Amino acid sequence: MSTSEHAHEHAHGHDDHEEEDTGGPVHVHIASTGFYWGIFAALICLTILTVKVSYYDFGSANIVIALLIATMKASLVAAFFMHLRHDKLFNTLAFLAAFLFLGIFILLTYDDLGNRGRVDPAYGGTVIPQTGLVAPGGAPSTSATQDDSQEEAPKAGGGEKKE
Amino acid sequence: MANVTETADAKDHAHAHPDFLQHHFDTPTQQFNASKLGMWVFITTEILMFGGLFCAYAIWRGLEPDIFDQSHHFLNKIMGATNTIVLLFSSLTAALAVRSAQVGKRNLTSIYLVITILCAGVFLVVKYFEYTHKFHLGLLPGHCFGHPWFSASIQNGQEIGTCVRGADPATVMPEWVKAVDEGGKLQVLPPRANMFFGLYFIMTGLHGLHVVVGMSILAWVLVKNMKGKFSPQYFTPVDLGALYWHLVDLVWIYLFPLLYLVGKPE
Repeated sequence: MSTSEHAHEHAHGHDDHEEEDTGGPVHVHIASTGFYWGIFAALICLTILTVKVSYYDFGSANIVIALLIATMKASLVAAFFMHLRHDKLFNTLAFLAAFLFLGIFILLTYDDLGNRGRVDPAYGGTVIPQTGLVAPGGAPSTSATQDDSQEEAPKAGGGEKKE
Repeated sequence: MANVTETADAKDHAHAHPDFLQHHFDTPTQQFNASKLGMWVFITTEILMFGGLFCAYAIWRGLEPDIFDQSHHFLNKIMGATNTIVLLFSSLTAALAVRSAQVGKRNLTSIYLVITILCAGVFLVVKYFEYTHKFHLGLLPGHCFGHPWFSASIQNGQEIGTCVRGADPATVMPEWVKAVDEGGKLQVLPPRANMFFGLYFIMTGLHGLHVVVGMSILAWVLVKNMKGKFSPQYFTPVDLGALYWHLVDLVWIYLFPLLYLVGKPE
């Protein structure tokens, strides 16, 4: 992605490829103004697309479509506005590493959550539904939360308790 | 800086040591590459910081898909899309500011930087209107969720939201929020819907903080540029300031669909 050839104007004739650092001025790829406007136009088109698409219901695919379009936009910004396309490959790797570790973070958190117990509505303890064993921590399930709020309702009594 | 020149002479370089070259770097290219890598590592840490919130979003969305569907109708898609376009445009002008600096058009760099900062201001103004509307509806999370201090039930002669805290518990549970959403539909939100609005305010709030910081950085770059500190040989601060600004744009590119768009349309 970062080292292939390109056809934009250059300020210093050539770059991209590793060249000997003779102590002279910094060599960078300089894209034309029109090129940046083109990227902007593409970003606007994708924004309009993602808003238009949101008025239709594709069920669970909604989030997939939205994230796909967002990733296309983010790639355009990172590759061209942030110059990653013509930058050192190592910078791209550092950037992508963030998403790798973010993925690990989210996956492990999901795994942890899936193996925790649910708040038992009857006893208030946290249990693993399959085994009935007490589990530490655990997020209250939706139904348990609903039960909690139903219990609170009678306590509010005549309604004077809270302003 | 004076002694830098001396050491440069002593080392017998092919090129003289320019003013901007710090003494611990051998060449401008080495300094430039080091600065860039440092900025990218910083961007990585920024992504991981926002990542914690995206993780929280993923988990709460998984636990409460219906609440998210219902609550996201309180976010105005048009205002969100407007802000997206404003930020994308400011990203364009930031990229053009870097380009102008690279080719040595100093005044043009200043103009592009000013436009970028102004766009950031427009973004914050739109966000202000979005936030205040939610405060008036009583959608501020935490103890304030549905609190009468924050919910004005009548606006422009129209009922827009009612706090039903303390209302007849037989019919409505306390702290439920009844409010008109952006589609004009009256919604009744359970207390735990404040989780959605908590994520909304923290995610967009942290992003808004980055917008303010980005404005400050770009303003600092603008001042240095007007003082003539940059040239086609040395434009690193313009480049790195713009990188920070693009990061702000990147985060919003994900926040916008995840908060405003995903979910069942009405």
